[in-house]
Amino acid sequence: MVVKCEDVWREISNYIEGDLDPALKRAMEEHFAQCRHCESVREGMRNVIDLYGDKTMFTVPAGFYPRLHGRLADHVEGKRVSRRAWLVSVGVTGALAASALFAAVLDRFVPQPRAQMSQPARRLPQHLVAIVDGGKTFHVPGCPFMHGKYRMVTPEEAIREGYNPCNRCMYEALRSA
Amino acid sequence: MRNRDWSEGEAAGASRADPGHEHEAALIGRIQRGERELFYELIRPYERRVFVIAFTILRNEADAEDAAQDAFLKAFKYLAQFRFESRFSTWLIQVAINEARLRLRKSHLEIMRPIEDQMNEDGSYTPRDFTDWREIPSEALERKEIREKLIAALCSLAQKYREVFVLRDVEHMSIEDTAQALGISAGAVKTRLLRARLMLRDLLSAGLAGIWAGHSQIPKGTKPWS
Repeated sequence: MVVKCEDVWREISNYIEGDLDPALKRAMEEHFAQCRHCESVREGMRNVIDLYGDKTMFTVPAGFYPRLHGRLADHVEGKRVSRRAWLVSVGVTGALAASALFAAVLDRFVPQPRAQMSQPARRLPQHLVAIVDGGKTFHVPGCPFMHGKYRMVTPEEAIREGYNPCNRCMYEALRSA
Repeated sequence: MRNRDWSEGEAAGASRADPGHEHEAALIGRIQRGERELFYELIRPYERRVFVIAFTILRNEADAEDAAQDAFLKAFKYLAQFRFESRFSTWLIQVAINEARLRLRKSHLEIMRPIEDQMNEDGSYTPRDFTDWREIPSEALERKEIREKLIAALCSLAQKYREVFVLRDVEHMSIEDTAQALGISAGAVKTRLLRARLMLRDLLSAGLAGIWAGHSQIPKGTKPWS
């Protein structure tokens, strides 16, 4: 088999890769022995591959690796927080928890009025008051605004159960002390 | 000086083994199950490679670094979707190439015009320079101006040649992996590789002829740029 320069140039990369059938490889080697131009092309191509393939050919910029790992850290390890930010977040969480606890305690010990629109007592009466189960206000016995069967309790008990003073018969209890 | 042993049938690609493929698969499985910190170990062998690929496409160090960081972040984000249909390295390189190409399109970085390759009508490339360029001084790459000329020559090639050349001849990926990473056929890889190598040879045999002569002034073992 005889090959021309054009054939050599077309196959020279495969020749260097060792990706040729043996007959063509032999023919090209015979050609190289006689053709200085093609031999020069072969050697030059090998030089190119050697130079660019050297591990020192391309280097990363100074600080490349720390910058890369720093950028990745937020995503791989989650956001990093400073000690101060951590303390602030702990403080805020504690304050929120304390206020929630306080609200719960308040809710437990401060009675909620049965009628949202009624006014709480500002002065406690010095006598027993009358309440009707299912009602919302406490009264003086005989108050015309009290309906149904009533029972007598202390003002403190009435307030603890959510009753507010009747604004007709308990007028005094609604006044400021 | 030669990095490859051309005497052994010149089958350079045959020695490009894939060390630690199973270890890599195990790492990926553990990361997917929640051991996220192992991602650093997984990408360590490819950190430089991703930067070089990005640099080859973008031809700018700062942009290449940003693109490399984004590529690793995307790889971490989408690692759960990695199905082992290809090597992790090939998949990662695909991510990096896509990221760099995207940046290139966005920023219109095509400032340098690639050289017109000397293509004949049948698509073959004719060498222009037959300078005898046999000897490479051992400290050639230690000289900053030579490295800069090599990088400039590579950057002057059209992108499709740069990509193939870097994956195959700089990063030593196999023809098949290069084809898979670029989404082209193995035949296309070989054709582009041939042209890239011939064009670089033409560019460098002319441009570096005068530089070799002065290499002896550089003391061996020193790096002028460092």
